[in-house]
Amino acid sequence: MARYIIRRLLTMLLTMFLVSILVFAIVEIAPGNVARNILGAYATPEQEKSMQNQLGLDRSPVIRYLSWLLGSDWQASRLVGYPLKVITISEGVVAKYQQWWAVDENGALVQWEIQDGRLYKLIRQSDGKTKAVEDEQAWKVNEEGRKYFWGINNANQAALWMQGEGGVEYRLEYSGWIASTGSPVDYIPLSKGLIRGDMGISLRYKRPVSEIIARRFTNSLILASIAILVSIPLAILLGLLAGLNEGKPLDRIISIGGLVTTASPDFATGIILIMIFALGLKILPGATVFMENNSVLKDPRLLVLPVLTAGLVEIGYVVRMTRASVVEVMNSPYVRTAILKGLSSRQIIFKHVLPNAMMAPITVIMLHVNWFIGGLVVVESVFGYPGLGNLILNAALYKDVYTIEASSMVLILLAVGTQLFADLIYALINPRIRYS
Amino acid sequence: MNSQSIINQSKSPLAWSDLLFRINQTWKKIRGFFELLWASPTAMIGLAMVLIWVFLAIFAPALTRYSPLEQDYKNINKSPSAEHILGTDHLGRDVYSRLLFGARTILLLGPLSVVVALIIGIALGLPAGYYTGWLDEVIMRILDTFMAFPAILLYMIIISALGPSSMNVVIAIAIGGIPGIARLVRALTMDIRTREYVKAAKLRGDSDFTIMVREILPNCRGPLIVDFLMRIGYAAFYIGTLGFLGLGLPPPTPDWGGMVQEGHTHMMANIWPVLSATLAIVSLVVGLNLFADGLREESMRYQ
Repeated sequence: MARYIIRRLLTMLLTMFLVSILVFAIVEIAPGNVARNILGAYATPEQEKSMQNQLGLDRSPVIRYLSWLLGSDWQASRLVGYPLKVITISEGVVAKYQQWWAVDENGALVQWEIQDGRLYKLIRQSDGKTKAVEDEQAWKVNEEGRKYFWGINNANQAALWMQGEGGVEYRLEYSGWIASTGSPVDYIPLSKGLIRGDMGISLRYKRPVSEIIARRFTNSLILASIAILVSIPLAILLGLLAGLNEGKPLDRIISIGGLVTTASPDFATGIILIMIFALGLKILPGATVFMENNSVLKDPRLLVLPVLTAGLVEIGYVVRMTRASVVEVMNSPYVRTAILKGLSSRQIIFKHVLPNAMMAPITVIMLHVNWFIGGLVVVESVFGYPGLGNLILNAALYKDVYTIEASSMVLILLAVGTQLFADLIYALINPRIRYS
Repeated sequence: MNSQSIINQSKSPLAWSDLLFRINQTWKKIRGFFELLWASPTAMIGLAMVLIWVFLAIFAPALTRYSPLEQDYKNINKSPSAEHILGTDHLGRDVYSRLLFGARTILLLGPLSVVVALIIGIALGLPAGYYTGWLDEVIMRILDTFMAFPAILLYMIIISALGPSSMNVVIAIAIGGIPGIARLVRALTMDIRTREYVKAAKLRGDSDFTIMVREILPNCRGPLIVDFLMRIGYAAFYIGTLGFLGLGLPPPTPDWGGMVQEGHTHMMANIWPVLSATLAIVSLVVGLNLFADGLREESMRYQ
C-alpha cells in the first residue's frame, strides 16, 4: 500500500511537471505575443522590442520556462555578484508590493541607476528613501574591452548597463509611455518562480497573482462545497429510489430528468433558472454582486442560484451512476438470497444494497471532479460570481498571461490531487482491490 | 487479345457478384442498425430531435425571410410578431433566422471537431496498443497530461492563445477529445491484438501497418461509433459553452452560445433571443445524448 501511494505521488508529480510545460507552452509560445498583449495594437515595433527585452521575452523558451517555474533571482544573483533580497512594501491599507534589492558587503540594500552616463549606487535608508552614491569603480571590463555592469534597477529587474551606450527604453507607466535614453541593454525580470510561491504580477489588476488567487479561491471553495453538500446526498437518494424501482414510472422520470440535467450545458441551466426565479418569480437575485469580501455569508440568497446550477449538473450524473450501481446490486445473488430468506425490505436496502452499491458512485464522483470544476467555471461566469473560474475566464479574455498560468496550475493541481485521493480512498474501502 | 484483357474478362462476373454481395452485406448492416434503433424508443426520440435541427439547418435559407446578419435599428428588441416569428434582438436582427443559421454552425463544427479528434486519436491509440512498451508509455503519459485539464480550462487557454475563430474552436475541441479516443482505441487494440485472425495475418507476413489498419481498426468500429456519437453531443455542449463565454465564433456569426451571451445582458428588455437560443441548444444536446445513450444501451444488450 505504501509503495502504491509513493508510486502514485511520483506519477502525480510527473503529470504536474508535464502540465506546467504544456500550460507555459500554450500560453507563452503561441503566436499571440505576450508583449503585444500588454501593449495593445497601436505600439510601435521599437516599443514592442523594448518591452520584450524588459520582460525577458527575448531569452530562450527553456530559460524562460525555468525562470517561470523556479525563479530567476539565482541567475541574476550570479551575474550581479551579490545575494538578492525581496522586501514587501505596504502602502495604505491593502496595497502591497514587492521590491527586489541586492545586499552589499555592508549588509545594506542597494540598487543602481545611470545618471548622465555615470553609475550610481542607491543605498536604501531605514525611512525607505535612497541615498545615491557614485559607483564608477564598479564597472567591469569584458573581452572586447568595453565596460559593463550587471545590477538591480528600480523596476524589479536585473539590468545590464554598458558604459557610454544603451538604447532607448520605453516604459509603460500609469501616466503613459516614458522613453529614457542611456538605459540598460539587457534585462532579467526578477521573480521567485511558481514553485516558491511567486506567481508574478497580474497584467490586468497590477497586483500579485497569488494574492488575487487566494481570495478568489476561497469564494470558489464556498460555492463548490455547498453545491456538493447539497447535491450529492440528494442525488444518491434519487439514484437509490430509481434503482429500487427499476423500470417503473418513477425510475423513468428520475432517469430522464438526470439525463436532461447532465446533458444541458451549465450556462443554459443557469440562464433557465435565472429566467424562472429572478425574472419570472422575482424571488432570487440573478447575479452575485459582491459589495464586500464576505457578502455571501451575509446574504445567502446570492448563493442559491449558483449552487442550484452547479448542483443540478452534478445531481444528474451521480443519479445515473447510483442507479446503475443499485440495479446491479439488486440483481446479485446475495440480495436474492436475502429476499428469499425473508428479510424485511428495510434490512435488505440498508444492510445489503446500500453499502455495496455506494462503492462505485463514491469513486466516480471523485473522478468526476474535472467535469465539476469545468462546470464551476461556467456557473461563475453566468452569475458573475467572483471565484477562481471567473478569474481565469477574464484572464483568458484579457490575455493576462501570468494569471492564466498560475490559476490553471492551481485548478489542475486540485483536480489531479482529488483524483489521487479518490484512488487511495477506493483502495482503502474496497478490500477486493490490493495494489502492489 | 493480350493477357491483360483476358484477366479482366474472366474477372468481371466475379467482381459483379462480389459487388452485389457487398451491397447486400451493407444493406443488412443498415437494416440491423435500424432494428437496433427501433428497439430503443430513447434513441428514436433523440434522433428525431437531432433530425429536426438538421432539417432546419439545411433548409435555413428557404425557411427564413431575413438574413441572420441584417440589422434593423428601427425594430430593436421586438417581441414575436407575424413578421418576426421569434422577435428581434438588440441589433434588430431576426432571432428565428439567427437560430436556424446558428444550427448550421453547431451542426457543422461539432462533427468536424470530433472527426479530427478521431483521426488523431486513432493514429495515437493504434500504435500505442499494438506495440505497447516505451512507445505506449510515452504516448499515454502525454495524453494523461491533457486529461489532467478540466476540458473547459484547456479550451479557454487554447482559444485565448490562438484567438477566437471557428477554426480554433475546432482545434481546441479536437485537442480535448484526442486523449479519450486514443485511450479507447488503445484498450480495444490491446484486446484485439491477441485474436486468432491477427496472428494469422502476422503469419501471412502482413506489415504492422496493414494489420493495424485492415485487421484491428475495423474490429474497433462498434465501440468507436457509439463513442463518436457521444462525443458529438459533448462537442455541441462545449461549442455552445465557448460561445457563451465569449470564446466561440466572433460576432456577427450566428452562434447559439453567442446569442445567449449577447442576449443575456438585454434579458430584462427582451427574453426571446436568450430563451430561444437556450432551448435550442438544450434540445440539440439532449437529443444527441438520448440518441447515443439509447444506441449504447441497446447495443450492449446483445453483447
